[in-house]
Amino acid sequence: MVRRLRWTLFALSLVVPGLVGLPAQQSTGVIQGAVVVADDASSVVRRPDLFGSGAPVPRPGPDRRPSVVYLALAPRAAFDALPRPRVSMDQRGEAFVPRVLAITAGTVVDFPNSDPIYHNVFSLSPTRSFDLGRYEAGQSKWVRFDQPGIVRVFCDIHSHMSAYILVFGHRYFTVTDEQGRYRLDQVPPGSYQVVAWHEPFPSQVRTVTVPDGGGDVELNFELGPE
Amino acid sequence: MHGRLAAPVAVSGSRCYNRRACQRLLPSMHVKSPESRATAAGRRTMRRAIVSALVRCAWSPTLVLALGGPASAQGLPSEPISLADGRLVVSGDVSGSISSEPDSGYLNAGDYEHDELRLFRLGVTAALYPAGRISVLGQVRTEGWDQVEPYALFVRVRPWADRAFHVNVGRIPPTFGAFPRRSYGKANLLIGQPLPFHYRTSIQPNAVPATADDLLDVRALGGAEFVRYPLGAQTSEQGLPMVNVLRWDTGVQVGVGSRPVEVLAAVTTGSLSHPLVADDNGGKQIVGRVTFRPSAALSLGVSGARGAYLDDDLLDVLPDGGTESFTQVVVGVDAEYARGAWLLRAEGLASSWRLPAVEAPRLDERLRSIGLTLEGQYRIAPGWYVAARLDHLGFSEITGTRFDREPTPWDEPVSRLEVGVGHYFLRNLIAKVAYQQNRRDDPYPSPGGFAAAQLLYWF
Repeated sequence: MVRRLRWTLFALSLVVPGLVGLPAQQSTGVIQGAVVVADDASSVVRRPDLFGSGAPVPRPGPDRRPSVVYLALAPRAAFDALPRPRVSMDQRGEAFVPRVLAITAGTVVDFPNSDPIYHNVFSLSPTRSFDLGRYEAGQSKWVRFDQPGIVRVFCDIHSHMSAYILVFGHRYFTVTDEQGRYRLDQVPPGSYQVVAWHEPFPSQVRTVTVPDGGGDVELNFELGPE
Repeated sequence: MHGRLAAPVAVSGSRCYNRRACQRLLPSMHVKSPESRATAAGRRTMRRAIVSALVRCAWSPTLVLALGGPASAQGLPSEPISLADGRLVVSGDVSGSISSEPDSGYLNAGDYEHDELRLFRLGVTAALYPAGRISVLGQVRTEGWDQVEPYALFVRVRPWADRAFHVNVGRIPPTFGAFPRRSYGKANLLIGQPLPFHYRTSIQPNAVPATADDLLDVRALGGAEFVRYPLGAQTSEQGLPMVNVLRWDTGVQVGVGSRPVEVLAAVTTGSLSHPLVADDNGGKQIVGRVTFRPSAALSLGVSGARGAYLDDDLLDVLPDGGTESFTQVVVGVDAEYARGAWLLRAEGLASSWRLPAVEAPRLDERLRSIGLTLEGQYRIAPGWYVAARLDHLGFSEITGTRFDREPTPWDEPVSRLEVGVGHYFLRNLIAKVAYQQNRRDDPYPSPGGFAAAQLLYWF
C-alpha cells in the first residue's frame, strides 16, 4: 500500500512541478566572474614508479583541474526539461579528458579508450558506482548518471588517473575555462547561493542577487586550503 | 567542508517543509537532506508529511540543487605528496595481515623470519627529480617495526628524450619475471606470496651440506633458522627461495623499448635467490628479460638469470678451496591475459643450484627445482573481486643413504591453493579475506590451512 502510494505520488510529482515555471516574459540575468585557485595543489601528481622507464608522459590537457560553479538554489523551472546530452570522457595519455565533467541527471557519458594500453574505469561513489572492466584502444563503454551527486572516477590499472563527474538536477552550473572564468546565463531575478567547487579545496558559497530587471552580476571566488 | 560540496537542502521559498519527505517522494528532483536523515522526528512524521510536502514542492518558486553525498569518497589522502614544486614526490603503502593460526611449518616464511600472513608492513617511496632526464628513486620498508630497510635506492637516467632507453644504477628493481615487478601492495591479488618467490628451500648461501644425506635430513625445514650444515657458517640462516622478491639486488639495469617489445638487462652483485647490497663472492649475476605485448590484452615474457650465490667465506673452507663456480641459473616464462572483468596470469620457473660435492653420498648433479603459479581475478561488482592462485614447487631427486637409498626429491614438494575476496572501501583502501590450503608431506606436523585477512592502504 505504501509502495503504491509512493509511486502514485512520484508520478504526480513529475507532472505537477511542470505546471509551475518562470513567467514567460521575465527578464533574466547573468552571474559571471572568475575562480582563482590557490597554488598548484590540484595539479596531477603521479606516484613514483620504480618499475617505469622515466619516459615523459604526454599531457592531454592542462594539469590543473577546472572548477565548477553552480547555484545552490535553482529556480524551480530549472528542473524541468533538463537537457540530457550524450557526452564523453576520454582516456588519453593515461588521463581522463576532461578531468572534470558537469552534467545534468540522465546524461549518458561515454568512456572511450584512446590509449594503446588497457584501462579499467570504475567508481565507488554512492551516487553511481560502476566498473567497466578492462578494454582496449578504440573501444568505448558508457554509463548513465541518473542521480545528482558527485562521482569520482578512477582507473584500476593506473592509480594516477582520476576524474570527477558532477551530476546536477538542474541546469544552472558551469565549468570554468582555462582562465578560471565562468558564466551562468538566464538566471531569473532573485537571491541565490552560488557555490564554487574545486577539489581538493573546500567549496565556497556566496550569496548574490540578480535584480528584478535582470543584468550582469560579477561574482569572484578565491579557493584554497582551509 | 573540506572536500565536500556545499549542498544545501531543499527549501521552498521562505517556507520550510519536510525535506526527507521530498527526498523520498521526488526522486526525479533528487532533493537530499543529510540533516533530515539524522532527524528522528522527521522520520516519524514522514508519512503524514507526504501530501503536504508534495504540494509544497510543486508550488514552490525555487528548489535546491541536490548534490547528494560528499564531493569526495576519499576521507584519506589518495594522491602522493608533492613537494618542492613537484621535484620530490612521496607515496606510501601500509598493510596489516592477520591469520587464523601461526605458520609453524614456515610455509609463509618471509624475510626476517616474518610470517607473511601475520605482518604489518609500511613502505614509503620517494622520487626526486633534480634535472630533466635524471631521477632518484628510493623506497624504505619496515616489517613489524623490527627494522627499517632501504628496499630500493637507485638513479634513473634517460639519456635521450626521444628514445626508449633508460639506465638504473643502485639497488634496482627486479629484472627477472613478472610477479617480482608487481609484488607489493595492490598488485598482489591475494594475501600470500606465490611459492616460487618466497618459499624457503633448504639451500643456504653461507653453509652447504657435505653429503646428500645432510640435505635430505632437512627437507621442508628451509624456513627454520635452526638448520645447520657441516660446512660453512654455523649461524642462524634461513634457506633461499627460488627468487626472493622481498629484497632487491644492487647493480646496473638497462631498459630498451616499450611496446610491443621491451628488453631489460642487468648486472648485479647477488643472485635471484640471494640479492645483495655488498658483493660477498666477487661473482656477478647477469639477468635479462624480454616482454612482448602483441595487444593490450596479452603480455608474454621470458626471463633468464645466472649468478654466483655462495659466500666467499664458505668457499674458503671447502676442501678444494672453492675453485669451482657455484651458481644459480634460472629461466622463467610468464603470460598475462586480461579482458573485461577477467585477469589471468601464469608464471613458470626452473632453477638450478650447483653445490660442492664434498663427501659420499655426493651431490654431483645440480639441484633443480621448478615453480609454477597460476592466478586469476574476476571483478564481480564495483569494488568487489574474487581471486584464486594455484602454486606448486617441485624438486629434483638425489640419492643418499636415507629413504632406503631410493631417489628422493632434495626438498619436500609443496602445493598451495589460495582463494580470496577483495573489497575496495575506497579506491586506495582494500580489504582482502583469503583462505590458503597448503599441501606438503611434512616430516613435522604443521597446519596446512590458514584463513587470513588483510587491510591495505596506499597513497
